[in-house]
Amino acid sequence: MPYNKPVPKPSPLTQPFWDGAKEGKLMLPKCVACERVHWYPRHICPFCHSMNIEWIEGSGEGRIYNYAIQNRAFGGWAEEAPFVTAYIDLDEGDRMVTVLRGVDATDPTSIKIGSKVKVEFEQASDDIYIPFFRVVEDSS
Amino acid sequence: MSLSKAAAIVGAAEAIEIGYLEEPITSLQLHIEAIKAVSDQTGIPISDIEGVFSTGWSSELSEHLGIHPKYIDTTSVGGCSFEMHVHHALLAVYAGVIDVALVSHGQNGWSARRIGGGGHRGGDPTAPATQMSMSYGFSGAPSNYSHAMVSHNHKFGTTPEDFAHVAVVTREWATLNPRAVMHSRETHEFGGPITLDDVNNSRIISWPLTLLHCCLVTDHGGAVLIAKPEIAKSLKTNPVWIAGAAENMSHSNMLEMDDFTATSAYASGQAAYEMAGLGADDMELALLYDSFTLTAAITAEMLGLAPRGEGYKLWKDGHAAPGGRLPINTNGGGLSFNHSGMYGMHLLIEAYRQLSGTAEDEVNGIKGKQTNARTCVVNGTGGSLSTTGTLVLVAD
Repeated sequence: MPYNKPVPKPSPLTQPFWDGAKEGKLMLPKCVACERVHWYPRHICPFCHSMNIEWIEGSGEGRIYNYAIQNRAFGGWAEEAPFVTAYIDLDEGDRMVTVLRGVDATDPTSIKIGSKVKVEFEQASDDIYIPFFRVVEDSS
Repeated sequence: MSLSKAAAIVGAAEAIEIGYLEEPITSLQLHIEAIKAVSDQTGIPISDIEGVFSTGWSSELSEHLGIHPKYIDTTSVGGCSFEMHVHHALLAVYAGVIDVALVSHGQNGWSARRIGGGGHRGGDPTAPATQMSMSYGFSGAPSNYSHAMVSHNHKFGTTPEDFAHVAVVTREWATLNPRAVMHSRETHEFGGPITLDDVNNSRIISWPLTLLHCCLVTDHGGAVLIAKPEIAKSLKTNPVWIAGAAENMSHSNMLEMDDFTATSAYASGQAAYEMAGLGADDMELALLYDSFTLTAAITAEMLGLAPRGEGYKLWKDGHAAPGGRLPINTNGGGLSFNHSGMYGMHLLIEAYRQLSGTAEDEVNGIKGKQTNARTCVVNGTGGSLSTTGTLVLVAD
């Protein structure tokens, strides 16, 4: 079945991220000056305001900061509801948003904040592969 | 002259009809009806308006009114924009640039489903934060705010049931306001008093938020006029003084919100209290943006009205209820009165009614509930707990 959910359109700023995603890599922007990773991609470092930013390949690992259930949704996502949206604190620092894989949305309290997750990519179009995170180890 | 009380809100009025309108209405008409009403209420001719403040509409409104304002502000950062407009108007009056300011709101949140409109700005799909969050099935405010409820529960050991008290008490206020959508079974099939079980058992929207944790989506128009002291004291209406005003923000996209249980209302609240020379303990009334039960409860914590993690207790213990020591959201709130999408104007109007002593009078032809409060803290919250505007208002 063709991918029927919203597909982002890359801009010059974000192109390296999507190029990496196509190869299964989670590319992250990192400030050369202060050496901190930030998310989302920016023209300027939000921590030290240097404009010297490079891309590094991240580990794709992190932990659940927070989650909630989407019991209703629009478009292609409506068919998948309920599903679990989550904010992931990356091992490299800063935070991404995602939909969690490997969890039971009908049993919300079975999902644990702090659980370890790992990125995986789903093909959405010829060039766009979207990162999702899968729970690999429950926090207990 | 100090900045504090350099201007007063001298009138506040609403569109002729608000709520779930049977005949679809445009945002423009809601604006204009309210502006005409506040002009009539105060006796200030529309032609005397020198500054126009609205969420993006100021040039269209001014043109429609046939006026040529010398101060034009279009701040549009969500539902708190109107508290920010008051802040900006205070500064403009204090600086001597204008003597009379109009803050106006019109939003056909309900009618937009049939005729379009609504007043929401579209996002930029190329913005990096949008690219990195648009793929994950979020569907509007509830799908974001549910995350904040989970964080509060996790951090403080609270439960969604604790927050349900906010909905129950706010509904109690609505039953005292005949203009509230949920006033009674006569005004809405699900109107009238509700119980904790009603809240907990209502339809799930985005776990842990059920329907009755969420605000209404209605049509609403409102306008306030702000004037310098000499004018404010000369009118037939009672002035309500702007003693403190401030704004702040922590993020735009929730991706950048460090702590999902804390908003910039802490910063804007502190600054507004400082300008007013008053503190949380001095407040006799609070009007707190309640897009969701948790929005109001977290804001109460940020404004120092309750300890961290315990905002909900103001409602649970009855303090916020009719007859309580700190009435909150006396109009019935966004939860049960009206919420057009951007609720900040509704807060201003209720604050004016209470502090001008006209809540029992015929403002818009409808009787209300008088609290006799002399001081009020008003806090708007915009976006995804993103932006805040805080006002400290005092009676004349």
